[in-house]
Amino acid sequence: MTSWKEQLGDRIPDQLAGEVDLFEGQIELKMQGKLDDKIFAETRLRRGVYGQRYDNGLRDDGTGQKTLTFPCGDLTKGPDTVWDAPGMMRIKVPFGKLTVEQLEVLSELAEENSDSILHVTTRQDIQLHYIHIEEAPDMMRRLAAFGITTREACGNSVRNVTACEYAGVCTTQAFDVTPYADAITKYLLGHPDVQDFGRKFKIAFSGCEDNPCGLVTFHDLGAVAQVRNGKRGFRVVVGGGLGAVPVQAKVLAEFCPEEELFPLTQAVARVFARLGEKQSRARARIKFLVQKVGIDEFKKLVADERETLRPDERWTAFLDDLHSTDEKPVREAGAIPSDAPAGFQAWAKHNLKPQAQDGYYSAIVKLPLGDFTATQGRALAQIARELTGDSIRCTVEQNLTIRWLSGADAVTFYDRLVALNMAAPGAGTITDMTSCPGTDTCKLGISASRGLTGELRKRLTVIEDELHPAVQALRMKASGCFNSCGQHHAADIGFTGVSRQVGGRKVPHFNIVLGGQWTENAKSYGLVVAAVPSKNIPKAVELITGHYLTNREGEESFQAFMARVGKKEFRKVLAPIQKAPAYEDDPSYYSDWGNPREYTIGDIGVGECAGEIVPFVEFGLQEAEQQLHDAQDALEAGLSATAAAGAFNAMVTAAKALVRHLEVQVTDDADDVVANFKTHLHDTELFHDPFAKGKFATYLLKMHGDHSYEDADDEIAHRTLDEAQLFLEAAHACYQRLTEAAAAAAAAE
Amino acid sequence: MQATKFQVKLYTRVGDIELEKLIPVFHEWIRTKKISDELLIDVADYAHVPQGPGVVLIGHQSDYYLDVADNRPGLLYSRKRGFEGDFQAGIDDAFRRALNACQLLEGESSLGLQFATNEVLFRVQDRLVAPNADATYDAYKPALEQAASAFFGGAPSLERIGTEREPFAVRITTGASGTVADALARH
Ligand code: HEM
Ligand code: SF4
Repeated sequence: MTSWKEQLGDRIPDQLAGEVDLFEGQIELKMQGKLDDKIFAETRLRRGVYGQRYDNGLRDDGTGQKTLTFPCGDLTKGPDTVWDAPGMMRIKVPFGKLTVEQLEVLSELAEENSDSILHVTTRQDIQLHYIHIEEAPDMMRRLAAFGITTREACGNSVRNVTACEYAGVCTTQAFDVTPYADAITKYLLGHPDVQDFGRKFKIAFSGCEDNPCGLVTFHDLGAVAQVRNGKRGFRVVVGGGLGAVPVQAKVLAEFCPEEELFPLTQAVARVFARLGEKQSRARARIKFLVQKVGIDEFKKLVADERETLRPDERWTAFLDDLHSTDEKPVREAGAIPSDAPAGFQAWAKHNLKPQAQDGYYSAIVKLPLGDFTATQGRALAQIARELTGDSIRCTVEQNLTIRWLSGADAVTFYDRLVALNMAAPGAGTITDMTSCPGTDTCKLGISASRGLTGELRKRLTVIEDELHPAVQALRMKASGCFNSCGQHHAADIGFTGVSRQVGGRKVPHFNIVLGGQWTENAKSYGLVVAAVPSKNIPKAVELITGHYLTNREGEESFQAFMARVGKKEFRKVLAPIQKAPAYEDDPSYYSDWGNPREYTIGDIGVGECAGEIVPFVEFGLQEAEQQLHDAQDALEAGLSATAAAGAFNAMVTAAKALVRHLEVQVTDDADDVVANFKTHLHDTELFHDPFAKGKFATYLLKMHGDHSYEDADDEIAHRTLDEAQLFLEAAHACYQRLTEAAAAAAAAE
Repeated sequence: MQATKFQVKLYTRVGDIELEKLIPVFHEWIRTKKISDELLIDVADYAHVPQGPGVVLIGHQSDYYLDVADNRPGLLYSRKRGFEGDFQAGIDDAFRRALNACQLLEGESSLGLQFATNEVLFRVQDRLVAPNADATYDAYKPALEQAASAFFGGAPSLERIGTEREPFAVRITTGASGTVADALARH
């Protein structure tokens, strides 16, 4: 055989075959210079072929930015994206479900086209890294032959539909959401009503209200299973999302009968496509639309839209056979042997959950950083083939759950995991951290979230057994930047990457976000407590957990403890480790976890010009941080209006520091500061973030214009604080850019 | 059609592997363009994955792994792009690049590593053209024997390993006891 296309022939469904052929044709056209960069980039993204760090052909090797001279020359696969540069492929796995054969083919691709590692994402997908674009079409064909499409895994489309990994086997579910998630995935894929979004659209299903598995509250659209008077339906929420400003979804329908779920979703999609922001990417998610028009008006818009829909038999056709997605166990149910060995018992404590079906269990294969090898994938597939059938699910905690394990086989299963080095205990505990790709492969990464997670995991695993159960139970999640792909807002202890300027050099930091609630479908988000140098984060975890253990009352949970003592107290606890030592005293702080390269872009000298002005701006930015912290305290004390006003003041202080840094005369008056900020920093684009552009500046300008910080209620205060936090981050980043530019200019003279 | 995604692994002989130590070494190789005829891009750290790919020096033409699969640490050379030249030259080149990387690693004093030459693992990551089957073995055997004896001397013995689901793989027992430098000097 000469090609996969020929080899797989009819095994690729016609429609998918046509799509891959089309994509291959576009690759050809692009190589011949006949396709526009932007168009090609969007096409590629819609098919799950993402960019990766350094794909602009530049990389700082620790001593300055160097050009990576790929053989493709000028050929690009998108604006500023070099053709030959390695990229990432995100493979959409609806509700995380994989069959044995799918896991096998994914493992083959990991070996042949990637670096032999399969990575489970926080939205139940599989990612392969370091892929060459020209190999993508054959990879897609091989996936398609086993019913997987990468289509609409990225880009402004309906992303992977997620659902609890226990759907169908869970003891607390109202009913199995799998057939609904499956049918809606198929219904929406390529549907004309979901092609014209300004931004991505994420849907999640949950089988029950209380458990976190579905995490519906931070989704654009979430559906929680409910039975009312014997009738199946969903509580539908809309407009949630993480990212720079996290928002809890609002209730769109308290009870949407099952037959109305698809038309309701379709109506939401149409309203979003019609009214959602298209120009400004930063405000394009549906959460902004819901906020702008208000949930009541939004409901009305959706109801009106619903009336205009032409009935479609697919809305209800799948209801005729809600068992089409049922998994069939391959072994008889049975009891776990009473003489199971100690190692098994320790593993089973957190990694084995009884199913609703007597004598069957779901086993969690805890993965380090969501990674497993092709060899492990293949062997796991074989175990599943023999013991459980097609019952593998990727989880939002970046693990694999294997369902339908007979109790009688549990010890055998465990022994086989041990042989594969996949029997790590403690699923869902503090050692089971979640992380986004961060600076390892993400183009937007600020700090090494994976490096940090790996380090914490390593340290905590050694002492796992000695940890107090209350500490063991905590969940930690890390994101490499404010985009929150690691879902750190929904963790007891969350981390977001930020960078800070210390003595003219950059130091990787993480903002510590405490008190996010993971249970009840991620019911509330944490707030930023303090920025701590990356290298001090392990110490910070020690301090936070230690403080909690020593001072909690009785069996008080971390949540309850946080609510009682407040963030102010934790800020005090962390104060001693917030400052990075001078470079001369300890240069290790100036590189990130797992990455020995110095954490600076270019050679930022401590130039004379910088030497004079640094202290003043740093002082101003510091003052702004302080004001923001005070505002957070006010919020905790229930003083919403004071908090919002304080947050606004913090922004003004930071803006003033930057304006003065440009040697512009300015008074302390907010109007004067904002006017000068607009002229000298916003209009000149000096304050523009390379990715978010003017987004953060707009927070200040808008707030100053509409006075929304005055008389703020709790929700507005929260938002104001979040926006102020981001504005301050942007101010730090802007200051860094200005310093670099000044240093470069000084060096050139 | 010819496969080009060849992998060659040589096992370590002396030295405990501390994978973390490879990270700065590979970064330095990128900075100093240590493998001068290849574009080296980045370092991927999989030290957290037991018996996994270890630490990977990601390049454009090929990747270099300090791989700990099967609990047997070794240097794994992995060609990713096409090769200009005939079949035998392609196999020889993969052996040479693997040996060359071993020699460079042996030269890194922070690692204290030495590689054995008595055994080589050869794999092809291309199930379309080179499935793990007898026919593939028949096609590769002569060229592998030739490459092995050219680098390591003597008459190597070969064994196809793995199942049809796994990539085509051959274990080559060379009978050699010399150093990596000897092997590079020989061919
Ligand atoms: C090249 C850059 C990026 C990489 C590598 C990346 C990676 C990821 C990954 C691995 C996930 C979970 C997987 C999934 O969706 O299936 C994720 C989710 C997410 N991404 Fe990104 N991302 C990138 C850029 C962005 C940007 C620019 C934003 C926002 C402006 C963003 C926002 C999010 C959010 C909020 C989530 C997860 C939480 C949710 O489900 O809503 N990401 N991203
Ligand atoms: S949170 Fe930031 S660093 Fe992490 S994947 Fe998302 S965009 Fe990248």
